[in-house]
Amino acid sequence: MKLVIGYLYGDLMNIYGDTGNIIALKKRAEWRGIKVIIKMFTIGNEMKKGMADIYFFGGGQDQAQELVARDLVVSGKGKVIKSEVERGVPLLSVCGGYQLLGDYYKPHKGPKLPGVGLFPAYTVASHDRMIGNIIIESMFGKLIGFENHSGKTYLKKGALPLGMIVKGFGNGGTVQTEGCIYKNAVGTYMHGSLLPKNPKLADWLLKKALEVKYGKELELKQLDDTLELQAHYKAIQKFG
Amino acid sequence: MKLILAILLGKLILFLTRNFKIGGGSAAPGLYALSIEPDLVAKLAAKIPKNVVITGTNGKTTTAKMLAHFAKETGLKVIRNHTGSNLERGIASAFIQNLRLHPKGVKLNHDIGIWELDEAAFNAVAPKLQPDIVVFLNVFRDQLDRYGEIDTVIKNWYQALKKLSSETAVLVNGDDANILKLAACFRGKVQTFGVQNCKIAGEEIERQKEQENLDFEAKNVKTSGLTGSLFQLTINNELLTVNLPLPGIYHIYDFLAAFTTGTILNIDPDKMVLSLKTYSPAFGRVEKFHLNPTFHRTPTSEVEYMGYIFLIKNPAGATQVFKTIAPNIKPGDRILLALNDNIADGTDVSWIWDANFESLRNSSNLSERAQSRDYTIITSGIRANDLALRLKYANFNPKEIVVEPDLKQALKQAGVGLKGKLFILPTYTAMLKLQSILTKASIKKHYWEEDN
Repeated sequence: MKLVIGYLYGDLMNIYGDTGNIIALKKRAEWRGIKVIIKMFTIGNEMKKGMADIYFFGGGQDQAQELVARDLVVSGKGKVIKSEVERGVPLLSVCGGYQLLGDYYKPHKGPKLPGVGLFPAYTVASHDRMIGNIIIESMFGKLIGFENHSGKTYLKKGALPLGMIVKGFGNGGTVQTEGCIYKNAVGTYMHGSLLPKNPKLADWLLKKALEVKYGKELELKQLDDTLELQAHYKAIQKFG
Repeated sequence: MKLILAILLGKLILFLTRNFKIGGGSAAPGLYALSIEPDLVAKLAAKIPKNVVITGTNGKTTTAKMLAHFAKETGLKVIRNHTGSNLERGIASAFIQNLRLHPKGVKLNHDIGIWELDEAAFNAVAPKLQPDIVVFLNVFRDQLDRYGEIDTVIKNWYQALKKLSSETAVLVNGDDANILKLAACFRGKVQTFGVQNCKIAGEEIERQKEQENLDFEAKNVKTSGLTGSLFQLTINNELLTVNLPLPGIYHIYDFLAAFTTGTILNIDPDKMVLSLKTYSPAFGRVEKFHLNPTFHRTPTSEVEYMGYIFLIKNPAGATQVFKTIAPNIKPGDRILLALNDNIADGTDVSWIWDANFESLRNSSNLSERAQSRDYTIITSGIRANDLALRLKYANFNPKEIVVEPDLKQALKQAGVGLKGKLFILPTYTAMLKLQSILTKASIKKHYWEEDN
C-alpha cells in the first residue's frame, strides 16, 4: 500500500513544530509497511483532486497567512480541498490552517480574510493571548497539546467541535469547546506536536485515508505505543 | 540619591542571594534596584567609554565572552552581563555587582561594556545603553510562547535601529537574509560578516556556492571534529589564519562577530587570533569537563572520562549541535539529553519536532551500537518522555532509550559502565541544574564564580 501526504503550504505554514504531525503520520504508516510520499502544495504549484490521500495544514506567521489566504482562492486550492474532504479524504489543520478553513478570519485591522468555508466556523482576532498546555475530551479519548493563539473561533449552529475543554482555552469563546470536526477533517488549536502524543487520532486519520483510497474498510496493524502513551499520560498527569 | 538607594538595595539582595545560596544573583538584585530607579541602566552606562550590544537568537553568550576575552588580553577592563541573564534586570545586576560606592558617588572604572540582549528586550534596553557598536547575529525561531514570531522580532529591530545615532557602528550577519534586510533601514554604516559558501536558510546553515559580498569573510574553512575549525580571513590586506578551538560552523559566526567588533575597537587582529589559545568556553557552550569516576561509581577503572556540555534551546541551535557531534560519536560514548519546560526554556516543547534529531542518528557508529544491548541515549528533565518520543520518531530504537526524568539519577546512570565520552545536551534550566549537581560533586565551580 501507498499513501501520499499533502503538506499544504509547508514552506509558509510550518511554525510551532507542527512538522511533527507529518513525521508521525509518515512513521506510523511506514512501521506498518505502507509506503509514504510527502508532497508539498504551495503558492505557484498546482493541486488537483486525487493528488494526495491525506492533508496537513499548519500555522504560519501573520504575513504568510495573508499570502496563503489569497492563494487558496486565486489558485483554486481551497475548492479542491473542500471537494476532497466532501468525498471523505482526511485532513488535519492546526491553528492558522484551521482558521483559514473556516468562513473567514477577521484581523484587528483591515478587511476580513475570506476562508475556504470547510468548517462551519469563523475566527475573530482578540487581544487575549491564549497560551499554555491544553487537554480536551474527544471521540479519540483525551487529547493533549499546547496552544498559542489570539484568534477566537466561533462555531456556527450545527458545527461539531473536536472536543470539550478539560484544561486550556481552545476555541476561546465563552463555550468550552475546542476545534471542529467535519466529515474526516479536523481543525484544532493544538500544537505539541499533536499527533505523536495522541496516536489514536493519528491512526484514525491514516485509517480513513486508506479506506477512501482503497475503497474498503480495514483495520490497521497494532503498534507498540509504549513511549507514545507514556508521554501522553505523563503530560495529562502534569497539566490536568 | 534614588540611584544610590537603588544600588544599595541591589547590593543587599546580591549579598543575601549569594549567602543563602538561593542563586547567583544574576537577575534579582537588578530587578529590585530598577523598581526604585528605572533609569539605572542609562545612568550607569553613560559612565562607560564604549558600549557594545550583542543580540540575536543564538550565539550571544559565546560572542560576548569571546569579545571580553579579546579585550582583556589587551589590558582593557570589561564589564558585562556574563551569566546569560540578558534582560534589563541582568544588566542592572551586572552594574550593581561591579560598581563601588564612594562618598562622592558611583565608581565604575571599566573601559568597555559588553551587553548581550535578549532579542525581545533589545528595543527597550539598547537605546538606554547608547551603544557604540551593535551586533546582530541571526534570527531563528526561539521560544515562540514568549516572543511571538520572527517577523515581529525583525519589525521591532527595524524600529529600534531607526532611533540609534548614525554614529553607531552596526554589524550584521551577511549570511542571514532576514538580518541583512535590517541594513537597509539604518542611516549609518553597516558592515557584514559571514562564512564562505554558507547561507542561513530557515533553521539550518546550508552550504551554498554563491558570490558573496561580505566585509569580513571566513574562507577555506576546514572543520576538525570536536576540537574546532581552521579558516582564513583577510583584514587590512593581511591574510590571517585562525585556529578556532570551538567545533561547528555556528561558532565561526560567533568568532567573526567578536573579532569584527574587536577590530572596530582597535584591538590588534593578530593578538585576538593568538589569544584564542587561552579562550575557555562559556558555561554549557561546548564545555568540557572531567567526570569524576567516584561520583559515577565506576568500580573497574580510575580513568577520568571526558564529558561535553552543549546547550540546546531552539531548533536551529540544537540542529547545529547535532550535526557537530554526530560524526564524533564513537562506540562506547553516550548521550544525555535533558528537556525542561520552565519559562526560561520556553513552556512549549513543540520545538523539538522542528529540531533535526534525525541528524544525530546519522552516525554510523550509533547504528552499529543499536545491535548491542547496551543503551546509547538517556533522556531526562521535566519533559523526558517527550524527548524519548521524538527520538523514536527520529529512527532511534526505543530499546536504546532510557527515560530518567531526575537529572541527578540520569547523570549517575550515564556514568555506570561508561567506556567513552559523555555528551550532555540540556535546555537552559536543565543546564543550570546540571551545573549545581556538578558543583556539589566538586566537578565544577559555581557559574558565578567562573571568570567573566
